[in-house]
Amino acid sequence: MASKKDKNVAKESTTVGENAIANRETEGLSQGQIIRRRFMQHKPAVAGLIFMIFFTLFMYSASGIHLGTEKNPINWQGWWPYTIRDITAASGAGDPSWAHPMGLDPLHLDYFALVSRGAEISLMVMVIIGGLGGLLGTIMGAVSGFFGGWIDAIMMRFTDFIITIPAILIGAVIGFRVGNLGVFALAIFLGLFSWTGLARLVRGEFLSLREREFVDAARVAGASNRRIIFKHILPNAIGVIIVSVTLLLAGSILTETGLSYLGFGVQAPDVSLGTLINQYQDAFTVAPWLFWWPGVIIILIALSINFVGDGLRDAFDPRQRRRIKRKDFQLEAAKSRPGK
Amino acid sequence: MLAYIARRVAIAVMILFGSTFITYNLEAYAGDPLLGLAESTAPNKEKLIAQLTAQLQLDVPPPARYFLWLKGVLGGFIGHFDLGVTRQSRSVLDEIASAVPTTVRLLTTSTVLAIVLGITLGVISAIRQYSRLDYTMTFTVFLLFSLPIFWVAVLLKQFLAISFNDYLQDPKINYLAMLVIAAIVGVVLAGFVSGSRKRVLITWASGFAVTSGILIYIDQTRWALNPSLGIFVIGVCGVGLAYGLTYVFAGMHNRRALYAGLTSAALAVIMYYPFRALVPASAGFPQLLAVCLVMLAVAYFVGFFFTKIDKGPVIRVSILVAFLTSMLTVVDRLMQTWHSYMTDPAVDGRPVQTVGPMNTLLQTTDFWMITLDSLVHVALPTIALTLVGFSGYVRYARGSLLEVLNMDYIRTARAKGLAEREVILRHALRNAMIPLTTLVAFDIAGILGGAIITESVFGWHGMGSLFNVAIQTQDLKLLMGTFAITSFLAVMATLAADIIYSALDPRIRIGKK
Repeated sequence: MASKKDKNVAKESTTVGENAIANRETEGLSQGQIIRRRFMQHKPAVAGLIFMIFFTLFMYSASGIHLGTEKNPINWQGWWPYTIRDITAASGAGDPSWAHPMGLDPLHLDYFALVSRGAEISLMVMVIIGGLGGLLGTIMGAVSGFFGGWIDAIMMRFTDFIITIPAILIGAVIGFRVGNLGVFALAIFLGLFSWTGLARLVRGEFLSLREREFVDAARVAGASNRRIIFKHILPNAIGVIIVSVTLLLAGSILTETGLSYLGFGVQAPDVSLGTLINQYQDAFTVAPWLFWWPGVIIILIALSINFVGDGLRDAFDPRQRRRIKRKDFQLEAAKSRPGK
Repeated sequence: MLAYIARRVAIAVMILFGSTFITYNLEAYAGDPLLGLAESTAPNKEKLIAQLTAQLQLDVPPPARYFLWLKGVLGGFIGHFDLGVTRQSRSVLDEIASAVPTTVRLLTTSTVLAIVLGITLGVISAIRQYSRLDYTMTFTVFLLFSLPIFWVAVLLKQFLAISFNDYLQDPKINYLAMLVIAAIVGVVLAGFVSGSRKRVLITWASGFAVTSGILIYIDQTRWALNPSLGIFVIGVCGVGLAYGLTYVFAGMHNRRALYAGLTSAALAVIMYYPFRALVPASAGFPQLLAVCLVMLAVAYFVGFFFTKIDKGPVIRVSILVAFLTSMLTVVDRLMQTWHSYMTDPAVDGRPVQTVGPMNTLLQTTDFWMITLDSLVHVALPTIALTLVGFSGYVRYARGSLLEVLNMDYIRTARAKGLAEREVILRHALRNAMIPLTTLVAFDIAGILGGAIITESVFGWHGMGSLFNVAIQTQDLKLLMGTFAITSFLAVMATLAADIIYSALDPRIRIGKK
């Protein structure tokens, strides 16, 4: 890491012309402002973020929130008039119409209600897996990279060991052993096994950061290990962590829907986007909308999260600079010309 | 180094013990094999339960039962390797032995394609950073990253199999579709050229014209029913390849590379008729392989003798031209089998199949028929796996090459006046490919693991499907057999990747602090 920085310094001194332009963009701004500004310049990322916010609100408000156990359920009905259990009186093949924008399934259930419920569950599972995986990965990686030595050796071998456990087995165990709270249990257990990649990355980051001068300075000033980890090193590694957590999120929606498709993920009566695809894949020729909607929604979610991740990567990476176009040089030249 | 490898192997063995132990117990708690019997109304229920308990050793608690299984596996050291039997009393080893060829057939092509295509596109994308091509590629890669493979697979089944078979019933191309396809091909081609707007437009127009010409020809001659390339098209393609590959790998100023490429192309074309005699319908795969290897060896010597200095690029051009042109000959041979394959009663005019690795009704000993049959079956899952698999390589190859292109030694190479081709091919690419070793090692080790979802959608009975079935039917021995093999390979791949990495990159010394 340190050597890369040095190379950048060397590079910067040789390309002064470009830097004058690049530096002007960041003059007088705090780190946070620079990152926010860089992120805002990445249009697909901003579009992805806005989409995710509106999409989540839309889906959750449409079908409401259904939590709790069978005995004491927490039900808050959304604005969509149908639920996943209302059999509608409509006749015909159930093509999409104004009353049922996503059509009806063969049992005459409103498909938008099913899809929004599925999207809701898939999003929730995704957030739990990503959040838990991110938290565990950061802690494991931080401890392992900071302390090094035998702690590092043991923890990394433990990581190697966790990597070999297949997610499909975890799904099978949860599906068989845990009844009603299936979705939560599934998400939490998958989260407990999804931190490995992140832990390796964070460890690498900590291994290089702990050798830096500011860590020595903090130690000389009498800071405790905990303070050094959380106040000094972690903020420097946060970029890597945030970016990989977004990628973990995008990956986990594919994991969950894949498991559900195979029958090892979300179990009936709950619906997920994966179970919907599994259930209706044979109906492709007669009712293609039943197949298209859940798939398109999975792609939209994963795609927008991937774009947000890409935008964050660009924003956090100090080596990444906006491409300097010829136009900028001309502007610069025009500005520096005297008398104009 | 040896001590390091010994230590790593020891750790790997411990990890394997740990993960097989956990997996065994997880699976033992993931279901109850007696459940089906407990609900049954058979009069001899008690006896059946006792039988099954004895058969599966259910009276031993799972953690202890694991060691009974392990005893069988470790028996391999004294010559009694025993993975046990499945619940249908078939040997687990036999089940695996019959699944492995299926899985290898399914995954080899897609893995190789993903690696080659992914790295090529990633490199192009990096060289053209911030171009239209780069942006499009980045978007495509993100889209592919986000694709659920089970969804893509169903779509492929619908559009490439069912719709294509329908098209073959009456091979007429809709003119609107023709225009759209030609326009898209034009856009793709135009994306690869850089430069002025005029140049881009010319490329687009010629791409559009050539594609529509080909499509009209295909439509008018009902080519899809009886396709062939013929020696003339292969010759033109060979010459085109010789020029194109010379441009990419050696530069047009390198006449020797061009002449070597043209010679290889000519040799491959000359081989067009002898090839039929050398690999007749009664031949087998070894014969085809032998002919191809001889062809490549000849191409190597062509490259070798065409130049005295700097043989590398010349040999590369000559071998690649020979290889690709010979592949066209093989494709042509397969195309000529197409008609008899289509009209075979077992196929009945609907050649592209969506289920299984082969058409079991097809009764033929014709090597080309069998090859065509297996290609037609492997096509769809291969497309699905390649689509999902290659995006990672594009991303990594692009990132890695960009990182290397920013380094000082590249600046030096450019400063001393090397052509951009030399800078990228000789200086940058070699170092940029090193970080990809890990990915490649894992993907190659993953071939035997199978693809659970893809195998399930396309009805292939490979390793992934064995694993899936084992979990669903509570078949502990079967599950452990497949899991032990795949996890062993995965652990070994990690080790191999680390060792290869250090061999390729002298800056990394493994085993030293």
